[in-house]
Parts: sequence; structure tokens; C-alpha cells
Amino acid sequence: MLMDLRTGNIVEAVAGRRWDPQEVARQVARRVARLQRMGLQPGDRVFMPFGNRLEFFAELLAVWRLGACAVPIDARLTAFEIETLAAAATPRLSIVDDATDASVVRSMETAGLPVVQTTDTGTVEQAAGRSRLDDDALILFTSGSTGNPKGVLHTHRSLRARWMALGDNLGLEAFERTLCMLPTHFGHGLICNCLFPWLYGRDLYITPPFKPEIIMRLGAIVDEHRVTFMSSVPSVWRLALKMAKRPQAGTLRRVHVGSAPLSADVWEDVRAWTGTRQVCNAYGITETGSWVAGLRDADCPAVDGLIGGGWGAVIRVLRTNSTEQPLDAGMICAPGEPGYVWLNTPALMKGYFQRDDLTRQSVVDGWFLTGDIGLIDDSGRLVLRGRERDEINKGGMKIYPADVDAVVERFPGAADVCTFALDDAIYGQAVGIAVVLEDASDGQVRALHEWMSARLAEPKMPSRWWIVSEIPRTSRGKVNRDAVKAACESRPPFDLVSALSGRGVR
Amino acid sequence: MSDARAEVIAGLRRFVATIQKPNMPIDGIADTDGLVAAGLIDSLAIVQIVLYLESRYGIDFASSGIDPERLASFASIADMVMERHA
Repeated sequence: MLMDLRTGNIVEAVAGRRWDPQEVARQVARRVARLQRMGLQPGDRVFMPFGNRLEFFAELLAVWRLGACAVPIDARLTAFEIETLAAAATPRLSIVDDATDASVVRSMETAGLPVVQTTDTGTVEQAAGRSRLDDDALILFTSGSTGNPKGVLHTHRSLRARWMALGDNLGLEAFERTLCMLPTHFGHGLICNCLFPWLYGRDLYITPPFKPEIIMRLGAIVDEHRVTFMSSVPSVWRLALKMAKRPQAGTLRRVHVGSAPLSADVWEDVRAWTGTRQVCNAYGITETGSWVAGLRDADCPAVDGLIGGGWGAVIRVLRTNSTEQPLDAGMICAPGEPGYVWLNTPALMKGYFQRDDLTRQSVVDGWFLTGDIGLIDDSGRLVLRGRERDEINKGGMKIYPADVDAVVERFPGAADVCTFALDDAIYGQAVGIAVVLEDASDGQVRALHEWMSARLAEPKMPSRWWIVSEIPRTSRGKVNRDAVKAACESRPPFDLVSALSGRGVR
Repeated sequence: MSDARAEVIAGLRRFVATIQKPNMPIDGIADTDGLVAAGLIDSLAIVQIVLYLESRYGIDFASSGIDPERLASFASIADMVMERHA
């Protein structure tokens, strides 16, 4: 199946703004003209710290038409994090919207980066078609916003491979009217939930991400727009199942849940709420263009961790997690035997942007080491059993402990730190931190909190703190985050509210 | 304000103090202030308030749905609780 990249309608499902394909083409042409006036050249990168609105998609297509590479960024990042990512991506210019924080705009302008409002287009229209299949198309930063950025780089070829694989495996019928409630700065939301159906000419309905007031209306939104497909994350479902009336019109044909483990209980609850049996756990990794495996026909018993088969990907569970030697068939686990999940797909990223060292640690001979632990069951289906990666999955948003540690380590009064995952009833996981302070007074805690708030996006801020006298390390100096977490959870957390309000005892 | 409504708000304040963002004094939040808008809680923390209301007052939100405006402030939540128990 060939793709012609003809867009469907795009609608802001709550606000009601709507562009048909002709209007999309006009909006893209205006932005092509504006970006040309700003001097954008093929191969340039464009920072986009905004999203989930019509203009974002017009900017994306305009950037691509000019042969440049889009870098969507989480709009919630601090100016410090934006500066860190900008230093890594070296964009030619940045596009913002009226919700972009003024401190972020100032920091980019101070760094000499031209900044333009997305609505500031002018009326001149210009056609262009300069992108080639192997041009860099998209960089999605998955970690390192505080010091060691890791940007997943996709080309047009790898993106199209993902979309074509999804079309071949899932068909398009279920995707006639797709709802996206996920952020457009990460792979699950952007590449698969939005661009796959929309660039196949299907209609896309977008909302601002993770808004409880929108999730509470989910059933009504599905009915109003006769939504046939949606994807989301388990934490959104925990909210919707609890607070939203189910849709009544019976339009949903397929539902994906991804970015975090889906339990069998929630799985069945989502089926009951949505009215379709076609609910599946979509296994997505940014490096493979997100949705890389799942169930074609999801009408089967829900099982904890069940994924299914590859969608345009070969899945192997191996006994090795080393990328330093060639893989061979002798490393393949027997059915039912847990091991390391590896993927081979034409949708694999080009690599980590300007970080060949990181790419070599994840890819060998075209095989990608996912960092997940799983097994192949007797039916040949992938079942996930856990993760080897050092990450905190907060409602589908991946937070890397090292990113938080890096900020605390630079605080002048911090002697040691360890960030770890806490179990959380809503998010699945939340952020906890143990910190050793040279002066453990409330004043120092307040100073550290202020230091962190200025440098970490709010979702990354730890929700529970423990002020400790030391953090145990191995003889090789490594920290065992699970051991630190267990030690901390054996006693009450620090009363941060009192300390920050000046009501503490110290 | 009735004693019952005042007690609902007092209970809510005690509960929200356990889930609030640490850098926002709850004493400075008026009953009519938007809890999320004022920065007291993360928007997804509203589900924790819903769980609290379910267990404390036996309200079944899943069958009736929720008007998000009713969960905006201590006062609007208390009004909703009073209505459902009227």
C-alpha cells in the first residue's frame, strides 16, 4: 500500500475549530512562505515547544515541505530545560504559540534563536516539496532535558514505514474518525495516534492533553464526533472509568492503550466502557516509531502484559542484552522463557541525534534492544513481564531519575541524591527522592525546592521527599534505586508542605 | 453557611492537604478559588478528590458523570455534596 500523505479533516474536538483538507493546504502554504522568508533551509531543524492545536500540524507539514526537520517539545518544560535541548538540537528557529511561557520565549531569544508565533503567518502562500525520503524528519527528545539530551531521530522513510505497517496490519476502517487526547510531542500521540490516520486521509480530532475536565466528558466527546478510534494511557482510563459517563452511540470500533502497562482488570473495564471488544495493549517505543506490536484482532481474553504480534516488526526474546556482539539464533529464548525483548523493523529510528555512542548501546545489526523483559507464549504472542530500563513511568510520561539527579547534584548544598519510582494509584508511578544535604534545615530544603522548580518541568518534580544522612552505594559506587526506595518507604516522608510554608520545626 | 456544608469543606481541606503541591499554602486558598487554577493541586489529582468523595459520601460518579465545574473549588464541591445528600 502506498501513501500519498493526503490529509483528512482536522478538528479541535472541544474548541470546535475545524480545518478541511483545502484549509489545511492553505495554512501549510502560508507557513511555507513565512518559513522561507525566515530563511529556513533543507536540513535545518525547527523547535516547536507547543502542540495539540490545528496550527501545530500545519507547521509540521510546512517544515517537512521545505526539507527541514521538526523538533516538537513538551510545552511544560522550564526555560532551563528548553535551553539545554536547544543547545543539543541547534535549531534554525523556533515556533511558539500564545500559551508558551514568556520565560521560555525570552531564553530562546537571548540565545539568538528567532522565534515566531504560529498564528503569525501573513497571507502569502507558497508551494514546496523539497523533502526526500531519507531526510531527517522528526526529533523527539525522550530524556536528558537537564543535561544529557537523548533525541530519537526519524527520517521520512522510517516514519512512512511505520504508517504503512500499521495500515497493512490494522486496515483503515476503524480509524475513520480518530480522537487524540495525548501530547503531540511524543511518539505515541504524534506519530501513531495523530499522523497515521490523518495522513491516510482520515479525520483527526485533537484535544489538549491530560485535562481531567476533558476526560470527564470523554463519553460525550466520543458521541458528538462519532469517534471510531482512540488511543490513550492507563492513567487516563483510570480517570475516565471513574468519572465519565460512557458513550451511548456505539461508534467506537477500536481502542488502543499504551505507554504504560495495562492490567487485565483495566483492560476489561475499558471494553465495557467503550462498548467494543477491540481494545488492545499497543506496544510502542519512540525509537521504532511507536506502535510496533499488538493484537490485530483483540477479541480475546485480557491477560496482564499481553501484547501480541509485531506490526511491521520481527520480535525476538533473547537471553542477551548486549549490543557488543552479533546476535545469533542460539540466543533465542524458548517459548515461555523470559528474556530481553529485541525488535527489527524498517521503522527503526536513524539513531539518537548526534549521539552515535548511545545508538551503539541500543542497536546491533538493525536489531533494537528495547529494555523490556518479556516472553513469547505458546501462541507466539509477546507478553511483557517488566522493564530493565531505569525510568519512572508517570501516567505514560517517562521520567528518567538521572535527569532529576543531575539537577540536584548541581545544587551547592546537596551532598548526594537518589531519585526513584513510587507506586501511585492514579499515575501508576510517581517520583520520589532521597537527598543528603550538608545543612538539613528547612531553609536549605526551601532553597533546593526553588532550585529544582526553576530547572525541572512540573511533572518531574518529586512528590515525596526523604532527607537522609547517606545514600548506600555498592563497592563500585553505584546506587541501587530499589534499595534506596525500600529504605525510604520504611519511614514517613519529609513534611515538605510544612518546610516550604515555614511551619516546620527545624 | 450551614454546619454540614462547613464540615464538608473542613474535611475536604484536610484531605487536599495530603495531596496538594508542597509549595502552595492551603491556608491561602479561598473556598471559591479554583484548586487547579490556583496551583494547589495537579489537575489529575482531581481523581483523588473523586475517590475521597466516593468513599466519604458514597457518591457514584461513574453512573451519573461529572460536570467538571462542580469540582473546581472547595465551595462548588461542597455544594455538590450537599445537593446529592439533600
